[in-house]
Amino acid sequence: MTSTTYDAQVTAALFDRDGAIFCLGDGTVRFEDGSYNAVHDGAILCAALHPSGEGVVTGGDDGRVIWSRKQEAGVLATSAKGQWIDAVDASAESKLIAFSSGKTVSVIDAADAGFRRDFAHERTVSGVAFDPKGRRIAASTYGGAALWFARIDKQKPTMLKWAGSHTGVAFSPDGAFVVTMMQDAQLHGWRVKDSKDMRMGGYPSKVRSVAFLSKGQLMATSGAQGAVLWPFIGSNGPMGREATEIGYDEGSLVTLVAARPEHGVMAAGLDDGRVWHAHPAGQGLNFLKADKGAPIVALAMSPDGQRVAWADEDGNAGVAEADAGPA
Amino acid sequence: MTDTTYSKIPVTVLTGYLGAGKTTLLNRILTEDHGKRYAVIVNEFGEIGIDNDLVVGADEDVFEMNNGCVCCTVRGDLIRVVAGLMKRQRPGKPAFDAIIVETTGLADPGPVAQTFFVDEDVKAKTQLDSVTALVDAKHVMARLDDSKEAREQVAFADRIILNKVDLATEAELVAVEQRLRKLNPLAPITRAERANVPLDQVLGLGGFDLERILDINPEFANPAHGEAGHVHDEHCGHDHDDHDHVHDEHCGHDHDHHGARGHAHNDDIKGISLSLDRPMHGARFTAWLDKLLGEQGQNILRAKGIIDVDGEDKRLVFQAVHMILEGDLQREWGANERRWSRAVFIGRDLDEAALKAGFEACAA
Repeated sequence: MTSTTYDAQVTAALFDRDGAIFCLGDGTVRFEDGSYNAVHDGAILCAALHPSGEGVVTGGDDGRVIWSRKQEAGVLATSAKGQWIDAVDASAESKLIAFSSGKTVSVIDAADAGFRRDFAHERTVSGVAFDPKGRRIAASTYGGAALWFARIDKQKPTMLKWAGSHTGVAFSPDGAFVVTMMQDAQLHGWRVKDSKDMRMGGYPSKVRSVAFLSKGQLMATSGAQGAVLWPFIGSNGPMGREATEIGYDEGSLVTLVAARPEHGVMAAGLDDGRVWHAHPAGQGLNFLKADKGAPIVALAMSPDGQRVAWADEDGNAGVAEADAGPA
Repeated sequence: MTDTTYSKIPVTVLTGYLGAGKTTLLNRILTEDHGKRYAVIVNEFGEIGIDNDLVVGADEDVFEMNNGCVCCTVRGDLIRVVAGLMKRQRPGKPAFDAIIVETTGLADPGPVAQTFFVDEDVKAKTQLDSVTALVDAKHVMARLDDSKEAREQVAFADRIILNKVDLATEAELVAVEQRLRKLNPLAPITRAERANVPLDQVLGLGGFDLERILDINPEFANPAHGEAGHVHDEHCGHDHDDHDHVHDEHCGHDHDHHGARGHAHNDDIKGISLSLDRPMHGARFTAWLDKLLGEQGQNILRAKGIIDVDGEDKRLVFQAVHMILEGDLQREWGANERRWSRAVFIGRDLDEAALKAGFEACAA
């Protein structure tokens, strides 16, 4: 395992085709090889892999959306009045990038600098997610999620309604379900074709992240003493099914999870600083970081499912190999 | 293992009607040479913006929690903005010395305060210090008459700044103070011109800190100034220099009879002070308080108390915001300290006789 310590909060971690990338509260983007770009005037609040597969698209509290690669960085878009960029997602399929600032979701095209759509919501948007084809966008907000066609200028969104404050959103890899995280420690899901509701509750704390694995048949979530896994099988998804929990440990909470739909493995970051990697069907946990410390605040899995990038609240960050065992 | 227990960032909330002087006070806080770094959350991007500080716009996005607690409304924008501000925090060092939240003139302070008790992430990083209400000495009487929000802001505050006193007569000021004290007997009133109040009277008050409930000042249980039974002391806040002042029923400033607003104000909100000189039955008192807040918490804006529990050497202290109650055993009673229980409830349409009877029925 390689590790380092930054003099700033790590606010996001991800992998591009070359390796791990960490985004920091001081506005810098740090690449695994040690090179870095100082891009934002303030903190990076959100990040997504660029549609090209190279480099990262970051949103900052300076109101800018920036694409950083190792040698260069450029501003892709800005928000109205310099509002914070709270959420960002990007689609390799459609080459579109969506970001939210205040009550607006904006869409830009990585392949066409002149393209921009701005979609207004009644309440502040907390998260954005593309469907697998990159044609539709789900935006989480108070009272549910709004579904937009990414390219269409004038439209009324499809509202997926559920009372309460929704704090983040994800599409299932087959595009059939939308899942939101909620303020009051639960998840909510909708089947897209008929807006049928799915309630997923019982968490002792807020759910900060969800990740799909095993061809989308499992959704791993944080927010409990272990990683909670919901089955997404058949047209009913998790409806009427029980969740399972792996890696249960009474003394800690899972703060973040990471996985890849193509692989049957997942990683979890804990509030006591530990990080593990596991096959849900297999036995035991492989602790990639066994020593305890500050809570894990960023976690990502490489495209091959074998490497995990993590960072804790004290600025420690590392990249671990799943096969190599604990460092 | 790394030590991650650095202290939480204190949060001060500024309320007040349009024109009360919030922006003036904010500008003073930001420009005064104090060497501190503040983050200010304002409702809209205003004219302020100082190099070393951060000014953030927010939307007053009030929503209800789904947890079944009817009055658990919180400010979603604050949860979002505080989380964003914390991303600037360097490991081991607080990002800011304090966060100041400015509310719009029409805002209900309840959801702002409740956000800091209800949201787990906000609670982990910040601590609500106090709520300060600014009122405009010249216009506050009219505002209190016609605006529920204005009354709530005063009733909710840990400190009231009576601003623009240079624009009102002494008689008007005394009448205003009298009414403010009825609305909120807990909050000290500070007179100011152009919001020139010392910053230590706005920041670092510990208004929600159980450890700092040192006394429920007997002055607060005192009938308001100008009323029968009022005892004059150094807290009265009006100037006696110019006349050889003898305070009796012929006292030269009989405010009820002059000034445009001399009539009796029967506000829907008031503070009720309760006290008891006998020890209380601990379990009975706790059950009474839980039931009271459960049933009337929507109408109770703030409550504070120090209770002498039978058979307990430590003082039981509590504070509540609507239905959110915090209580703990605090320090021991002093050897020469008068052991007595006192509590203040500030709220809407409270039945004073019933509260008094319920409180006294908790006697051991």
